[in-house]
Amino acid sequence: MVDFIKRDKDDIYAKPIIGFLFKNQKFLMALKIVVLALFIYAIYFGYAHTGKDNTFTWAVFWGIFWSLFMVITLPTLGRVFCGICPHGFMGKYITKFGLKKTMPKWMQNPYIGLFLLVIGWWGIYYIFPGIYRTPLGTAILFTVMTLLSFVIYFLYKDMSYCKYICPIGTLTRAYSKLSFTWLGTYKSACDDCKTFECATACPYNLKPFTFDKRNSMTDCTLCMDCSAACEAVSFKVKKPSFSMFSKFQILKAEVWAFVLILASIPITMAFHHGIGRSNAAGDMIWSKTAEFLKGYISFGSVDPIGLFAFLYAMLFTVLAAVIGMFIASHILKKDFSKIFYDLGYSYAPLFILGSIAHTLETFFTRSYARIVEGFAYGFGFTIDVASLANRGDSWLHIFGLLKWVAITWALIILYKRMKLLDAEKMRKIIAYPFAASLIIFFLSVNMYRGHILDTYGRASGGHGNHGGGAKMFQAVSNDKATILQSGRSKNSCTTCGMKLINSYKANHAAKQDGVTKQFCSIHCFSKENGIKKTPLTDFQVVDLKSLKFIDAEKAYYVLGSKKRGVMSKTSKLAFALEADALAFITKNGGKIVNFDEAYKNALKDFKRKPAQSFKKPTSEDVIYFSDTNPKAKKKKSYVGGHSHGGSRNKVASKKIWPIFEDEFGKKNCIGDISAELYLLDANLVVTKAKQSREGACKSVSFKMPDNGYYNLFYSDKEVQNNTLYLKTAKYEYRRFNHSNDAIYDEKKMSAHSINEVPFDILRLREDGETFYHRLYSGDKIRLKVLLDSKPVKGASLTLSTKTGWSKSIKTDKDGVAAFVLLKDYFPEWNKFDRRHKNKFLLTATYTKDIKGKYLDDEYEKEKYTATYTSQYYPGTSEYSSYAYGLFAATATAILSGFVIYWFRKRRERPFKEVRFDEKN
Amino acid sequence: MKKIRDFINRADIRKFRFWLQLFFFILFIYGGYFSINLGNSIPVFSCGYDREVGGMCYFLPLQHQLARPLDVLFSAASISVLIGFITFLVWFIVFNKAWCGYACPLGTMQDWLTSLRKKMGIRYSTYTQPQFDKLKKIKYIMLALVILAPMAVGLGLLGGEWRTAFCEICPGRMITPLFVGDTSQWSLDFSTKSAMILTTLGLVFTGLFVVGSFIKKRFFCFFCPMSAMHYIFSDAALLKLKKDGDKCTKCGDCYTVCDMQIKDIADDVQSTNILRDDCILCLKCVAACPEDDVLHVELVNYPIFKSTKGGFAKRMQMDRWEKKDE
Repeated sequence: MVDFIKRDKDDIYAKPIIGFLFKNQKFLMALKIVVLALFIYAIYFGYAHTGKDNTFTWAVFWGIFWSLFMVITLPTLGRVFCGICPHGFMGKYITKFGLKKTMPKWMQNPYIGLFLLVIGWWGIYYIFPGIYRTPLGTAILFTVMTLLSFVIYFLYKDMSYCKYICPIGTLTRAYSKLSFTWLGTYKSACDDCKTFECATACPYNLKPFTFDKRNSMTDCTLCMDCSAACEAVSFKVKKPSFSMFSKFQILKAEVWAFVLILASIPITMAFHHGIGRSNAAGDMIWSKTAEFLKGYISFGSVDPIGLFAFLYAMLFTVLAAVIGMFIASHILKKDFSKIFYDLGYSYAPLFILGSIAHTLETFFTRSYARIVEGFAYGFGFTIDVASLANRGDSWLHIFGLLKWVAITWALIILYKRMKLLDAEKMRKIIAYPFAASLIIFFLSVNMYRGHILDTYGRASGGHGNHGGGAKMFQAVSNDKATILQSGRSKNSCTTCGMKLINSYKANHAAKQDGVTKQFCSIHCFSKENGIKKTPLTDFQVVDLKSLKFIDAEKAYYVLGSKKRGVMSKTSKLAFALEADALAFITKNGGKIVNFDEAYKNALKDFKRKPAQSFKKPTSEDVIYFSDTNPKAKKKKSYVGGHSHGGSRNKVASKKIWPIFEDEFGKKNCIGDISAELYLLDANLVVTKAKQSREGACKSVSFKMPDNGYYNLFYSDKEVQNNTLYLKTAKYEYRRFNHSNDAIYDEKKMSAHSINEVPFDILRLREDGETFYHRLYSGDKIRLKVLLDSKPVKGASLTLSTKTGWSKSIKTDKDGVAAFVLLKDYFPEWNKFDRRHKNKFLLTATYTKDIKGKYLDDEYEKEKYTATYTSQYYPGTSEYSSYAYGLFAATATAILSGFVIYWFRKRRERPFKEVRFDEKN
Repeated sequence: MKKIRDFINRADIRKFRFWLQLFFFILFIYGGYFSINLGNSIPVFSCGYDREVGGMCYFLPLQHQLARPLDVLFSAASISVLIGFITFLVWFIVFNKAWCGYACPLGTMQDWLTSLRKKMGIRYSTYTQPQFDKLKKIKYIMLALVILAPMAVGLGLLGGEWRTAFCEICPGRMITPLFVGDTSQWSLDFSTKSAMILTTLGLVFTGLFVVGSFIKKRFFCFFCPMSAMHYIFSDAALLKLKKDGDKCTKCGDCYTVCDMQIKDIADDVQSTNILRDDCILCLKCVAACPEDDVLHVELVNYPIFKSTKGGFAKRMQMDRWEKKDE
């Protein structure tokens, strides 16, 4: 024993504050007591408040302890959780007064704990979802575990419970190998030691002075008792997972812990919760097996899909690990079990880092608020906290990076452990990918999950299986629902695609040409039957009481009860018996109607609200296209940034609104576009365009599959006051997907007009325009006005900007007029946005005195108007300066040149003879 | 075979290097005129702002790729990042850091400035060893900027003008386009505060670059993040600079000729792989080594250029001195 030791730099005990937190016995004792008190109080609270309103028990056990604290500390600080675990803390004192027997050999088996965790916890978790996470379930679980641990602590010596029985004992022991902390001793002091205080102090009967030599901390739980007994004990910061880079005595259970926990948490989650929530969930093997066996076995309250997802995950994971390692062992010409257990340690990072990502994400989005509110509730006051982040916040994606860190880390550990084997280099290289089979499997499951969710989309209904999440009243579990449809999308509503079981109690069904179609609710049914006029027969509805389908026309509908409706404001729920319906009404209100009335009520939802009264454009109003909806409420939009890759499969589209300004300058949209709409696409093909169906403010959308200019034309003719008004509006949009192999075809990219439109403005292209062409202030634009495809002289062309500036000129004999886009953007200097869009409108008018007849109306003159809208950006000269640039560079050059010159000058010392007068 | 080997070992590496550098300079700066395009994962500073570039510096596309919104970056788009990165590695792995010493246009410009200085008879500067040890870390900070700044843009923490933050401050952006007569990069951008800071820094660094590399050999290479990136993967490269410490007499010739002031080349007699993070694999040290086979360059474990007594004598034109002695 030594009383003083000079500590190394990397020793945590030597650090000012952290050292105190880890070493000070009084502080540690206080901490352990607080944790114990919290533990007991939370269990008590679970018994006292079994209802859902008890958020405290949840916050302590499932908010903080698992998985937040656990997964974050394990791969970083190590088993600090065990150090403050209430079981271990109490166990130390119970053992002191206990019987101190040696545990029987068959119980000295870490697989017991592992089995309890994997089957007893995760297995049950998937098979009976939501059973543990209720306050009462939690309280009972932890009471049982506590009593069990106390009995074992009392009977057996050396904290055998922690070593063999504790479900997370093996887990923490295994994963703490990744941590960057290391409890060891100073060899210089230990060499002379004859008393071994550290070993005597250890409640686990370990020998800390051998840890460094064995390169393993074995069962150490970082309770820090040894560090109180002797100063030679150190707690150092090392490279993460450094101990795995050299040899140590392996524990087979640890490798199995890595494999089985990987199977039961991330892989099963990816199966059951990841892919299971996509629209392709029904096609997966576990769903199919469950579906198949449902016909033979009654599962009761078991969730068969969860069960089989769990079993298959187990099977696939173990197979991936074992087969890969088996091949690797043959390539390396080694014993399989040696290879498997030696290299199996490389699996360690896979689960724990992925789990950190998931835990932190949920912490920021949900758990934080729940934990704080839960604690407040537990101590008798109420707080309402906002989450730290919203689901879908882009910065949360950074946690996705951890998965890749995990894979890289695993590959590095595998490489380092491979290096330790003595085998030929070539064999090692060949065996490496096989030994990495489980890592590759993990990677591919993740990619597959992403692929499935991207391709098939997330099924609506969200976190239905997670427990705790608010379900719709109408939702039922899979086994209770009867699906009458067949085929690929049989689990979804025919009309809206919603998951049927999520609104099962409102489901309807009908036959179309003998094929049964199922609908989420009467809303979708009536849309299909009443609006789309699909011929449907044999209407059926789910009886709320028996959850079986009954004849809809004989059913008793309860209209407008307190329960929320499906896709409709008024709920419509059906009963086979009037008595049931009446019983329901006394509880939830509403009234009994027959099918016809319910159907009529459902149809009401489709009647449009009376359209906003829109002004109609008068014949003098100028129509032009705008890329923003004038009636829409202003939203903060994402400015800047390219649409990179992301939606590769989608065809880009553009939505624009034809609008006009009334006499007050207020923008109005058109309630119903009666004019002709034409689209000239990038390949110069003309098609007719249609106005949008939705909304009262009509827009026009078009798809842009190719690179190039897309032109949308609006063309209207009408006779008013003996004048034929011919109005056209044009919208020219350049689509470019930034692909490298796009070719700029000048012919296609030049300005075009179409024969269908009599009067048109073309923006003539300048030399050297590319796909990246933009207009900037200061640029000169040339415009050509065409009448019946011929240039027209003397047409008046007006350019007006958003700020109100406008200028009119007449076209010359070639029909061309030129404008210089003026600088029209004067923000404060610090609010300057170089991507500021200056919208401008070009209006060409031309009047011809010609008598004629259009649709039985005679007229005396023709008045043509054409509009063209576009935008320009601030020119570079508005915000960048060559003079200052050149000045900055040359000034630096001259200044630094001078400094160097001066520096050299100063160091130049003229030769000087130094004489010493020897007499002094 | 022996003859060929002797010929190579006695070769005038300086001339060889000059012509090779000129070749690569023309290839990278003017490649566009010959419709050469080696892709955009080139491991040297052949700047993408040069519109006639014959193969683009990897950092420009890398920064653009990393600046995608994170959810896009970690989805299918990560494949394009990976492809770019693998192409970069394939280019790099063959020649290792010889890219710096032989192919980098920005490096070549610095060498030309150095020879200009020599002709003008101005002496050069060096750092002291402690200064050097501190300065060499800057390149890792620069590398962090290359990777983290665009990711922060993708996260939404920084504005779009940080997307290519490193390029904004890299003197290559200003200087390289000058060779094709494009001065558009020599302007200060006042559109936002950060654009202003970045472009000002860029032009200040350009000024420093010109003066610095005039006075100090390969001034910029000490701070070059590409050099840091190279070093991370240099263990895997095929071309290697090796040293046989047993034969080394620690005469220090190699250190004296080294443009990058790498002390280890003379001091370290333990390690065989003598390539350090600052090394530009210009092979001046091999040419300057007066001992047989102390330093040699290996391509896939096959020695292609060795230091020899004969080669040293020839390069130093010892025969002339011997004649004089007679």
